Parts: sequence; C-alpha cells; structure tokens
Amino acid sequence: MIHSLFLINHSGDIFLEKHWKSVISHSVCDYFFEAKEKAVDPEDVPPVLQTPHHYLITVHRGKLFFLSVVQTEVPPLFVIEFLHRVADTFQDYFGECSESVIKDNVVTVYELLEEMLDNGFPLATESNVLKELIRPPTILRSVVNTLTGSSNVGDTLPTGQLSTIPWRRADVKYTNNEAYFDVIEEIDAILDKSGTTVFAEIQGVIEASVRLTGMPDLTLSFMNPRLLDDVSFHPCVRFKRWESERTLSFIPPDGNFTLMNYHVSSQNPVAIPVYVKQSISFFESGPCGRLDITIGPKQTMGKTVEALMVKIHMPKAVLSANLTATQGNYTYDLPNKVLVWDIGKLNPQKLPNLKGILSLQAGAPKPEDNPSLNIDLRIQQVAISGLKVSRLEMFGEKYKPFKGVKYVTKAGKFQVRT
Amino acid sequence: MPYLGSEDAVRELRRALSNPNVQSDQLRYRNTVLKAIRAMSQGVDVSDLFSEMVKACATVDIVQKKLVYVFLCSYATLNPELSLLVINTLRKDCQDPNPMVRSLALRNMTNLRLPSLVEYVEQPLAAGLRDRAACVRRVAVLGWAKLHNLQPDAEIDAAVVNELYGLLRDPDPVVMVNCLRALEEILKKEGGVAINKPITHHLLNRLKESDVWGQCEVLRILQRYHPQSEDELFDILSLLDASLVSPHPPVMAATLGLFLGLCSGLPAVSLAALERVRGPLLAACGSTSRETRFTALCHIQLLLRSLPGLMGAHYKRFFCGYAEPAYIKQRKMQVLVELVNDENVAMLLDELKGYCTDVNPETAQAAISAIGRIGRSYSDRCLEILTGLLGLKQEHITSAVVQTMCDLVWVCPQCSDTVCSALEGCEEMLQDSQGRQALLWLLAAYGERVSSAPYTLEGFIDRVRSEASLGVKMELLTTTMRLFLCRPSETQDMLGRLLHYCIEEEMDMCVRDQALLYYRLLHCGIEETHKVLHGQRSDPSLGVLIGRPAEPINQWAYSFNTLEPLRQAGVETEPASRGSPEHVTFDPKPNTDLSDTLNCSQIEKLGTPISGQLLPFFFAEPLKFHQVGWGASVHSHFQISPEMFNRVQVRALAGPLKDIHRVVPKPLLCYLGCVLRFVVLLEDEPSPQSEVQSALEHVFIQDVSVHCCIHLSLNPD
Repeated sequence: MIHSLFLINHSGDIFLEKHWKSVISHSVCDYFFEAKEKAVDPEDVPPVLQTPHHYLITVHRGKLFFLSVVQTEVPPLFVIEFLHRVADTFQDYFGECSESVIKDNVVTVYELLEEMLDNGFPLATESNVLKELIRPPTILRSVVNTLTGSSNVGDTLPTGQLSTIPWRRADVKYTNNEAYFDVIEEIDAILDKSGTTVFAEIQGVIEASVRLTGMPDLTLSFMNPRLLDDVSFHPCVRFKRWESERTLSFIPPDGNFTLMNYHVSSQNPVAIPVYVKQSISFFESGPCGRLDITIGPKQTMGKTVEALMVKIHMPKAVLSANLTATQGNYTYDLPNKVLVWDIGKLNPQKLPNLKGILSLQAGAPKPEDNPSLNIDLRIQQVAISGLKVSRLEMFGEKYKPFKGVKYVTKAGKFQVRT
Repeated sequence: MPYLGSEDAVRELRRALSNPNVQSDQLRYRNTVLKAIRAMSQGVDVSDLFSEMVKACATVDIVQKKLVYVFLCSYATLNPELSLLVINTLRKDCQDPNPMVRSLALRNMTNLRLPSLVEYVEQPLAAGLRDRAACVRRVAVLGWAKLHNLQPDAEIDAAVVNELYGLLRDPDPVVMVNCLRALEEILKKEGGVAINKPITHHLLNRLKESDVWGQCEVLRILQRYHPQSEDELFDILSLLDASLVSPHPPVMAATLGLFLGLCSGLPAVSLAALERVRGPLLAACGSTSRETRFTALCHIQLLLRSLPGLMGAHYKRFFCGYAEPAYIKQRKMQVLVELVNDENVAMLLDELKGYCTDVNPETAQAAISAIGRIGRSYSDRCLEILTGLLGLKQEHITSAVVQTMCDLVWVCPQCSDTVCSALEGCEEMLQDSQGRQALLWLLAAYGERVSSAPYTLEGFIDRVRSEASLGVKMELLTTTMRLFLCRPSETQDMLGRLLHYCIEEEMDMCVRDQALLYYRLLHCGIEETHKVLHGQRSDPSLGVLIGRPAEPINQWAYSFNTLEPLRQAGVETEPASRGSPEHVTFDPKPNTDLSDTLNCSQIEKLGTPISGQLLPFFFAEPLKFHQVGWGASVHSHFQISPEMFNRVQVRALAGPLKDIHRVVPKPLLCYLGCVLRFVVLLEDEPSPQSEVQSALEHVFIQDVSVHCCIHLSLNPD
C-alpha cells in the first residue's frame, strides 16, 4: 500500500528515506519540488499529487513534509492518518518532530518505521506496543547506554501483543496509583471588525495520564454531557455505553494518552473571553499608517486571562513599527512581516493598549488588505464550554487511586478581522 | 572535522569497520555501522561496504543487527552473491528463543528481495506460519506475499494458499488482516481473495478486534461480497452501523464506501447513510490535520452532488481561516457556492468578498469566480460586488473580475448592461493574457454597446507587435472582425492594419492562418462573413448551474474514498463537465482542463451524462468555399457527436487511431473562426506518442501549425 516514505525539510532536502517494497529513486520527489516551487507558500502544496506512475501523498508537520509514494489506488484518509500517526510517534518518542531531532535519532527512526509498516501495511502503531519493542531515548538512558553499551531494544518478550487488550500490557505495577485528566479546550473563532462573532466553535481534548496497577476499569461521567457533539474516542472507550448512558467507560492504556476529542459548535453560543478594539489605517498620502489596539476581558467566567499575545501579519509594504505599549512588549519581525505583542496577564482595571505609527516603504501603494489579528491566550481552571467532570470511578481493582482533573482554555485559531 | 568527499568517507568507513579494535568494542562497532547508515540516508553510495556489513551482521547486539539489516535490504540487489552469506545468519536467528529476534530475522529475510534466495527462505517461512508467537506469524504471512511479488509468474503453491485461508481464523486480529492482505496480492490474477458467506460473517464479527488499519482493510475487501438475500444485507448493515459514525475518519469513510456499494439498489438507505455520516464528516473538516480537512472537503463535495441540502445549516463551517493553506480555501469556496440559498446569500457573499483581497492571487481569483457562480442566481448583488472590486485597481483582481463577468454574461445575458458600463477603463489594469482575452471577448460580444470599444481595440492593435500571447492575438482577430461587422466605419482602418500585420509579418502560423481565413472570408462577401462569425452557439440557458438536479448516488459511489475526488484536475474540468461555457484559454498547458480528456474514462464523464440534457451540441458543417463532402463520412467515426463548450470542441474517436485524420483536421479547418481548441478523446491509449503526432502532421496541410499536446491518461494498475 505505502511504497516508500521520504522526509523532506522546508528548504527541499530529502534527509531520510525508507522503502518498504522495491527502492524508488529520489527523482520521484521532483514532482513534489516542482509543485512546491510553484506554490506561494510551501504550506500551499496540495496533499495529493499525481505523477505518471505514482501518487504522492504528503502531510506537513512542524516544517517537515512526510511524503509517501503509493502505486495503487488507496483510500486517501487512510494514508494521511497513517502519516500523521508516524509524526505523532516521533513527537511522542523524541519530544518534538523536527529535522535535527530525527537526524539525531536516525537509528530509532529506522527501527520505528520498520515496526510500523511491513510490506507497506501498518503493523504496530499503538504507542504502548511500540514502546515495548523500542524504548524511547531519554537523556539518562542514553548516558547509561553509552557507559554500559546496552541497547534500546526491550530484552523481554513484548507481552502487550499477547495480552487480551491490545492497548494495555499485562502486569502493570505502581507504588503510587494515580489517574490525572486534563480537559483542554481551544476556541476557534473569527470576529469581524465590529466585534461580532462570524464563526466560533470549541475544540476540546481530554488528555489522560493514568498510572494504575493491574487491570482497572474506569468510568468517567460528566455533569453536562449534552454539550458535546462530534466526539471521538480512544479505541479503549466502550462506544455503546457512551451512546446509551453518556459516560465514558474504559480500561485505560498505561501512561499518557488522549482519551477523547470533541467539538462544541454552533448549537450552544460560545463564550468569547476577550474583546478587541482596534483601528489600523494607512494614509492615502505619505508612507505611514496608524495602529491602535486595546484588549479587554469579556466572558472569562471570573478567571484571569493569561499568556495573552497578539500576532499581526502586516502587509508587505510595512517597514517598521514605532509603537508604545502600556503593558508587555512588542517586536516586529521584518523578514516575515509579523508584529508580535506579548501582553501576559490581562488586568481588567488597566486595559493594555498598543498605539503608534507604522512606516511604509516609500513609494509603495497603500496596502489594500487590512491585516487580521491572531490572538493567543490561556485561562486556567475553566473549560470555556462549561464542561465539567462529575466523577471518576474505578472497578476491578481493590486499591484507592489518586485522582485529579485539571481544566484549561486556550485560543486556537482565534482571529479578529480589521 | 574536515570535509570528506563521498569516496573518502566510504574508504574511512571501510577502514573502521574492518579494524579489529573497533570490532571487539561493541559500542564503537555499532557507532561505525550507524555512521554508514547515516551516510546512506544522506544519499552517499555506500554499497562498497557490503562485505564488511555482512560480517557486522553476526552479532548478539540486536540494535546493530537491525541497522545492518536496513543496510543489507537496501543494497542486496546490487550484491546477490554476497547476500547468500547473510542467509545463514538469518536462518540461525529464525531458531532464536526470543520471538522478536525470530520475527526480525524472518522479516528481513523476505526483505532482501533476491529471487536467488527464495529456496532458502521458503522453509523458515512455512515454519513461521505455525510459530506460537503472534508477532512471528504476522511477519510470516506477509512474507509469502513478498515472496510472490519476487516471482509473480511462479506457480502458486496451493498448500500455502490453503494455510493462509486457514489462518483467517487465527486468534490474533493482525494475523487475520495480514492474511487478507497477503492473499489479496498472491491471488491478484484470480481477482483477489475469495469472499464467501462464512468468511464475510467471520470478518464482520471480528471487525471490532482489529485496529483502525485492519478495519479499513477488511471493509475494503468486503466490498466484493454480494449478500444473497435482503435479510442478510440488513444484518450486515446493522452490524456496520457503529463503524459508520466511527471517530476515525478512515474507518468512517471505508464503512460509507461499503454501505454505498451494498445499497446500490436501495437509494433510500444510501441517503440515510449519508445523513448519518454528516456529523463525522463535519468533524473531519475541523480536524487539526489540514490534509484530513482537505480530504473531507473533497468528499463532502461528492456527497453534495446527490444531496445538495446536506450541509445547508452548517455553511459557517466552511468559512476560511486566515492561516489556512490555499488549496483548502479554494475547496471551501467551491463548497460554499453549493450551499448558497436565499437566507444565507448575504452572509456568504460578504464572506467571499473578504477573500477577494487575499494575499494569494489564486485564492483571490477563486473567490471572485465563486462570486460569479453565485451571480448566476443572484446576479444583482454579485455584480455590485464585482464592480466594486474593479475600484481596487489591482491587476490580478481586475483580471479575475473581467474573466468572471465574461462567464456570467454568457449565462445571464440580462447582466450585460452593467458589465458593459463596468468595462470602461479596465484595459490599463489588465496585464495577464487571460484577462485581456476575456476583455476582448466581451468587446466582441457587446461591442456595439461599449462606446469606447474601437479605442480599446486600437490600443491593442498598436501593441500587437509586442504581444506575446497567442491567445490574445487570436482573440484580437476575432474581436476586430466582429466589431467590424457592427461598427464598420470606426474599425475598417484598424482591421486592415491588423490583417496586414498578421498575414505579412506575424511569425506564428496559427495567427497567420486565422488572418488568412478571415481575409478570404471577407472576399466571399459580408453575408458569408456574417454567417460564420455570428454562427450558432450553444444555448446558454441550458447550461445554468442552479437547479441542477441531484445526481443519483451511483454516479459517484465508485470514486468515494479513492484519490479521484482529490485530484487537482477535478477543479479545472468542472466548468466543462457542468456544461457551463467558461472562457477557455488557448495555451495548451498540460495541467489545465485538457489533462483528463484523453483518458478513456473521461469519455463517459464528458459525453453521455450531459450531452442529452444539458449540452446542446452541433455538428461542424463544412463551409462551402473550403471543403466539400465531409459531412456524411465523418459522422460515422464519432462515438459521440462533437460538443461545443464556447469554442472548445470535444470529439471522441471511436475507431482505431489511424482514422484520426478523418475526425480531426478537416472539420477543424472549416470551423477555425470559432474554435479555439479542439479536444479529441481517444479510445485506446496512444502508446507511442509519435504515432499520434505523425498521424496529425500527415493530414494537416503544411500551412497550419498546430499545437498538439498529448495527455496520457494515468492508469496505475
């Protein structure tokens, strides 16, 4: 199914390749490079390209392209999902998914790719299983390995594959039994010039970190499960129980995993935590413009907004910005034309304001496109959709685990138009 | 570290690998092997190290073993004799007590891909099928498929096939799925793995145990099964219901594909299934992965062909974010156009207007043409926006607006007044050839109503010497001719100059020939000229997009969950297949709408479904003064009658390739005045390109130079 995989960086170098069937020459990537050349932005390269003998399916992750070559008709979602799984696995193993990290761990990468696909078909992709086959490198272990010369490969037989539940290995033992859940919500919103919401939805995810002895069976219930539409679960969740009782019942994998993803969309009005008063204008005459932005809290559910940051992609003609900020500081990145204003904590008594003059390239025409503001923020201890976990119960084991739920709200693709 | 050329690097590595001091120190040995692999991954040819690497294979260190295997598998084909040495080590590893080592050895043994080694591999593979560890069986099963690929013509071992069928009942779900995959490859010639009722039910019952990938595979293979009774069909459907709303987009798509296949005779059930996947599909559209979003969008477009109202209430989901890549934005706009209705039209147009000033010119153009599409049903609002955009005085925007208007007036002639008044003063802003071509076309069509038309043309004619685009020159000729017919006194002089230039000085044969044709045409009298230039054209009212009837699901079900809906060309052929006359450029670019048309599968797509209901066609009647007696004999060679989409003529050749001259050149010559481009659909794959070319050249008179580009259809096996 998947014939070969090429990893390509932003500047267009192939730095790793893996073939599961016969070897395909580099030249097949030329079609990709041609398309990349043509695109305004490297990210604009379409994910599926067709060449006379192959299809190239590409995903773009963290400034890298994962380019897979397939020879026969395939379900596109399958390949795309798989490539993302590969990237996720790298992220999981090495902490980030970047060229330098992959090059540093080229051995582990080859081992992983070998285990994940055989003859072009996905083999082991579940991170728990993989981690038993190939141990993730840690700084401590790599030091120990260098001293003792031992390897990263598990010496024991991979028991997980023989256990009845594929995502959990048997005989897990901990002295401290803990189960933590992080409810993380991201607001995707587009606000127009006057502050009205054009579009808003909440993407939520529950990340779990479960370290429990034995084979625990957990049940997690919500105060208000009706809020959620479009849920997607880790395979361990019993879907029938969710459909009938709206509770999550599952035998958890060991360690960190994503329990569920969900959407809260247009049916429920989405609370927008901040408002923005802005004016960005460029003068008809003279090479300059004026910028004035104020941000204030709107619906924050009584919590403080933290890590507030505003990013503005300026028109090409803007050369520099001479501004004053009442709070935080700003930088203007000239080559990328991005103005970043890092505000930090939002104080409702004294609203942060950024004001000043933008200077344009002399002789350039007045920019026709007003930039839009991308806002980044974080609110601790609240899920903006109002979702609350009511209880977590454990069956199947005798001990009392330590339980905890944490909520955090962030801005996802939060954009204000001007 | 000093810079080393690749040869030096290889020499260095070889010295290190054969150094006994390095070999005795396991860690240094492994690091040296690692360096070799790293060099390999950077594209350095390290195949010379093969014999050293074979030695490095005999080690207890599993990591080193894995590394060496990676190396050996990449270079084994270059060194078949030396690879024999590896086999012994591998066979020994197949007896190892650790199942991981066994599976590793087995996998790499089959990855060497050397036909000469097959005899050594078969025995451990057969043993592997009966191994007690599941991970070994998984590898062994696929190993047989790899072995078969090595010798595709070899006799298929019936015993192995039987054993593989037996292993479908293996307790390990991955082994089960791998068996399916292996049988699929081994029995490819017989049409893949045989699916009967017991196997189907067994697979369906165990569907839940497999991982996502396995489920997709099983669902895909089950598409081949035909339930024997309606009861059985509904049993299967109810089993599949849970996977239909699966949170994993690939499973959801595979299930829907199977659903549509099974229910091809039950449209009501299929429609209900489409309704049911709306939620998961919309969720996929909001996925964090942009590639998934894109794929979901493309599939939503398919669904909308049968159920236009499916996403009506969710149109806001398709609004574009600022940072989204261009290909997603363009697809989203195409979906938005489909979703427009009386209630949301104001919102939608407002939104699209915002995209028109996008930094990416292609996105901006897509937004403008989307507004044009909507304009077919809401012309007043859209024209207002379009004329407003002209005020921005941006080159690419003006060009896109003029092209859009050109398309719009064809369908909605009532807009022509507004368009005519908007045209004044555009020509300075138009730099690209498509935009100027569109402007010229508009002037040709409405020349009598645009007061400044002769002056604009005069400007064009004065600059014709420096004009680079062939299309613009051709269009200019036609426009001047047509304007001459309605405003002779103002244009006579410039027409004379233009014809003189084109006949005497122009280097391009196409232009020169066209000019000669017009010149001779004028000799035949004004009546004759009028007849040719204001000849029939397709009736625009028939091509209107809005109110298009919903297509039956079977029309597209076969392409669901394949790469077909994602193909780029799909975007460009759309105008033609819709039957709406778009303005088509002359430059034969391989990636525009032509790219598909020589594909045999496209014949049906372009021909049968639309010719009857949407597209008026007419047959190119030979002009008297040019040729005589082609009409009857030509006709029998067409599979479908030629079709005309605003100057692009499409013909299909039913007969063998050598008959091409009967179909193409003569009618083309007769119709030169109105045909910009000629598309011939060929039944057979034109394997040697030269054959077509020579066939064409043979028939074309020396005077006519033809841009012949041949697009082969892509038929991956």
